Amino acid sequence: MIDLPAIRTHRLSKWYGRTEAVRELNLSVARNRITGFLGRNGAGKSSTIKMLLGMMRPTSGEGSVLGKKIDDPAQSVEVRKDVAYVSEDKRLYSYMTVEQLIRFTASFYPDWQSDVATSLLRKYELPPDRRVKALSKGMHAKLALLLAFARRPKLLILDEPSAGLDPVGVEQLLEGLVSLCGQGTTVFFSSHQIPEVERIADQVCMIEHGHLVADVSLDEIRQSWRQVDVVFPFEPANLQVTLDGVESVQTRGRQMSLCASGHTDEIVAWARGFEASAIDVAPLGLREVFLKKIGAER
Amino acid sequence: MMLWYKAWLETRSRFLISLFGILIICSGWVLHEDAIASPSQPANWYYFVLHKSHDTLVMLWVLAVSLLMMGGLLREGAVGASDFTLALPVSRARLTRARIGVGFLQAMTLAVIPSVVIFLLACATGKANSVENAAFHLLLLAVGGSVFVAWALLVSTLISGEYTAPAVCLGTVLVVAIAMGDKPLSAWSPLSLLGGEQYLNPNTMMLSGPVPWLRLAVTIMVAAALAWAAVKAVQMKEF
Repeated sequence: MIDLPAIRTHRLSKWYGRTEAVRELNLSVARNRITGFLGRNGAGKSSTIKMLLGMMRPTSGEGSVLGKKIDDPAQSVEVRKDVAYVSEDKRLYSYMTVEQLIRFTASFYPDWQSDVATSLLRKYELPPDRRVKALSKGMHAKLALLLAFARRPKLLILDEPSAGLDPVGVEQLLEGLVSLCGQGTTVFFSSHQIPEVERIADQVCMIEHGHLVADVSLDEIRQSWRQVDVVFPFEPANLQVTLDGVESVQTRGRQMSLCASGHTDEIVAWARGFEASAIDVAPLGLREVFLKKIGAER
Repeated sequence: MMLWYKAWLETRSRFLISLFGILIICSGWVLHEDAIASPSQPANWYYFVLHKSHDTLVMLWVLAVSLLMMGGLLREGAVGASDFTLALPVSRARLTRARIGVGFLQAMTLAVIPSVVIFLLACATGKANSVENAAFHLLLLAVGGSVFVAWALLVSTLISGEYTAPAVCLGTVLVVAIAMGDKPLSAWSPLSLLGGEQYLNPNTMMLSGPVPWLRLAVTIMVAAALAWAAVKAVQMKEF
């Protein structure tokens, strides 16, 4: 049997009036991996996630989550049996106590892991009898994560999961995500915190103006992505760069910076052909790749 | 069942405050307001014990159910909790049906308990009363009032904002009360149906003539149509 992606979209678009939030997005999120979803504010991350969960209808295009169509209300309910979602706000029912909310949520999931819930309740130091409205922002976030983790979903979607968490909470979150993925859960999360994404993600999808600009694995970035800084004996402003692997080019005076996703040796050889006076090759981190890709799109 | 539990937890403070508020005010009418009745007045004791208490109950009941039915996904959206609800593996229709169920049960409770208490209190304190009249008033409130429950539900699914929706809901009720307060429109006013004055003898305030079953049936159908529209509105809404 073919291992279908956990999430797949094809030319998925969303318009709010005359504003295009998501533009013909083609996304494929592999199962049993942690995929980071990066983009600037307003890039279309939350709109995409809300369409995946049936909270919004796509204007055009199609998508599926765990093999089920996102724009079919009946299939969307089925999807949500296997998907846990933690929103950016992490707001919960203020009128319930922690214990009531756990009991309420557990009732919808036959596979609810009471032992996991109990253990996380202790680990996160959440008072069961306290009303949700009396919890701090960090406790709110931890409770939302507990409710997502304890149902042991096939797919976990998180929108800015570390927002509102202190450094200890962030550490617990990242450990929890890695552990969950190890148990067979696919994790798809949006974040602005590039170091967190770099630390735990296997794959990264980057979105800008609602359009996918990169879908790359972290291993690939570490192994192949390089910045090549070249100083030419002339000003290379009019120099055409049509080499394989070159993702973006910036020139300043006699210096040219190339962002390469591979073929570094060929690029260096090309630069030497112009008798470059200095060539510097440095590995790129996710942050640099993100900024280059977003910059190139702009 | 847990959706009903959620709807109950969400509204129980408003419900209990409404119930005890109505009980205290209506009991006050039964116990004290008949003291101002005098032989020169055309209305008898029934007027104060049953009819005026019922009028007060109607006014407070409409106010209470309008506030009780506020809530649901739009309000949750305004306070940021709708994402959690919408991520649950339940359809929006089921979510709304649970709200409707709990809302109608609470509305019926707010109609039945005060009506029974008014009646029992009148019996216990030796005030004149009538089972037929009390039952008639309760019927008007419980059945005729369903349209106000459904209207408040529909408004809560169309207008977001914690204060805007109740303001619009009560505002429209007020407009109806004013616009349809005089004849000939008052004969078709849902508020005048709740008061039931047109079916009572103006001198004795006792039931005269048949129970308006047809009008009550039409009211139920209108309420059902409004509730159906509310379910559809929630299904269409984007969050």
